[in-house]
Amino acid sequence: MARIELEHVNLTFRVRRERRIGLKDFLIKRLFLQSQNPIMEVRALQDINLRLNQGDRLAIIGHNGAGKSTMLKLLAGIYQPSSGRRLVEGRVSSLFDLALGFEIEANGWENIAYRSYLQGETPASVRAKKQAIAEFSELGDFLNMPVRYYSSGMMVRLAFSIATAIEPEILLVDEVLSVGDLAFQSKARERMRDMMAKAHLLVVVSHDLDSLPHICNQAIWMDHGRIRMMGLCAEVIAAYRSSVGQGQAAAA
Amino acid sequence: MHAYLGAIWNCRFFWLSLVKMDLRSRYRGSMLGIFWSLLHPIAMTAILCVVFSCAFGQDLRSYAPFVFTGLTFWGFFGATLVQGCLCFFQGESYIRQHPAPMAIYPLRTVLGAAFHFSVGLGLAIVIGLLAGPDLDRNPSATRLHQLLALPSLLPTCLLLLLFGWSLSILTGLLNVRFRDTRYLVEIGLQGLFYLTPVMYRIDAFKDKHRLTLLLQCNPLVPFLDLIREPILLGRIPSVTTYALATAVVLLLGATAAAALWIEERRLIFHL
Repeated sequence: MARIELEHVNLTFRVRRERRIGLKDFLIKRLFLQSQNPIMEVRALQDINLRLNQGDRLAIIGHNGAGKSTMLKLLAGIYQPSSGRRLVEGRVSSLFDLALGFEIEANGWENIAYRSYLQGETPASVRAKKQAIAEFSELGDFLNMPVRYYSSGMMVRLAFSIATAIEPEILLVDEVLSVGDLAFQSKARERMRDMMAKAHLLVVVSHDLDSLPHICNQAIWMDHGRIRMMGLCAEVIAAYRSSVGQGQAAAA
Repeated sequence: MHAYLGAIWNCRFFWLSLVKMDLRSRYRGSMLGIFWSLLHPIAMTAILCVVFSCAFGQDLRSYAPFVFTGLTFWGFFGATLVQGCLCFFQGESYIRQHPAPMAIYPLRTVLGAAFHFSVGLGLAIVIGLLAGPDLDRNPSATRLHQLLALPSLLPTCLLLLLFGWSLSILTGLLNVRFRDTRYLVEIGLQGLFYLTPVMYRIDAFKDKHRLTLLLQCNPLVPFLDLIREPILLGRIPSVTTYALATAVVLLLGATAAAALWIEERRLIFHL
């Protein structure tokens, strides 16, 4: 059973105003000087309460910097909450920052193995899937070359092919659909739809308000790290649209 | 703790394949590559042998294996410290994508260094056997004693692995917080080299009691003894030596575990 529960989750980043400090600065300033470089707190997520069960399809919408992607990374377990309780049950697969996580000196085949292992595969299961991943990526002989020589489009293609080769229980997606050229994009869309349909639980971050109601049944609208509205997908999107419209009208 | 070790074990294919890749990209699949990694300690040994035999009249037969074992250990120690500084940056793109236990990134570093160390240790054993035991310090020893004492290196290697892992975790975490850690570590390492009996013997300072005492307090000394006694003297190190080394490992390991416990969850915000 896939399940997500967030209770009073807060996430606060602490950053320095000027720049990072070195160990020398740290020791000297602590000993002799007042800090000229105060720590600022960024409250990325505030008092988030969320409960998702098997079969739920959640869309997260909101302005840039509202905390949508942070929320997704928190759900993926990459960020841990500063306070509050996070419970995620089920095998998670996340589609974001796809171009990251390659060993550029290793060739495509090896990278397929590394990323699959990171997703919890074993050598036997990778052997079984390798060919299918390679075919889907359409990279052909390039897979024998170090990833160093790939274009960024090729990297994303490979990453997408690997990441979508598993059947996740919980799927987290962050607007990754700009994958490769036009032909590959439509193929990628199809696979995404397929995966979203199969996933037991889906969370999507997107600005594509028109297609979200087809994919999701619930939505949250995030604003400045808080959930401003939670409910049925169509209703939340309508409310968000009218608020954005009002904002523009006020500005005009 | 148990769950954490389990998580490390669960992604063993991941870190093992990264270690394999690190080694392959370094050696490019050739024996010559392995020779390159040994070139540094071999060349250093040759230079030190010339200097010490000419200037201080050292007996080469016992000095060459002595200094080579020392440099092999030092190479491992330095690599875990200096390369350990970079371990989390090396794994940054994975850290940003997948919640794997942080300890696997220093583990990758230390396993790479351990491979080089074991190659060096193999050569050190060959050199030690060719030169024969150091009869000045253990008159009754024969080559057979040397061979029989070799299995005592196995627990030593395990201790060294844990030692190096803890060191890499600590310098790695420190370097994420303070980016200049690496340079300070390099400087400190250079200073420490002269305070550690790598190229000289502690008993060379017999008449300077304070200096001898200071040198004996160096926590690296038990590790050097553990490596040298079976290879050079043909005898199994004393329980005290093992106990001292274990104490150092436990202390360092506990510190590293505590640091990781605190930093694990917020490391990513500082990358």
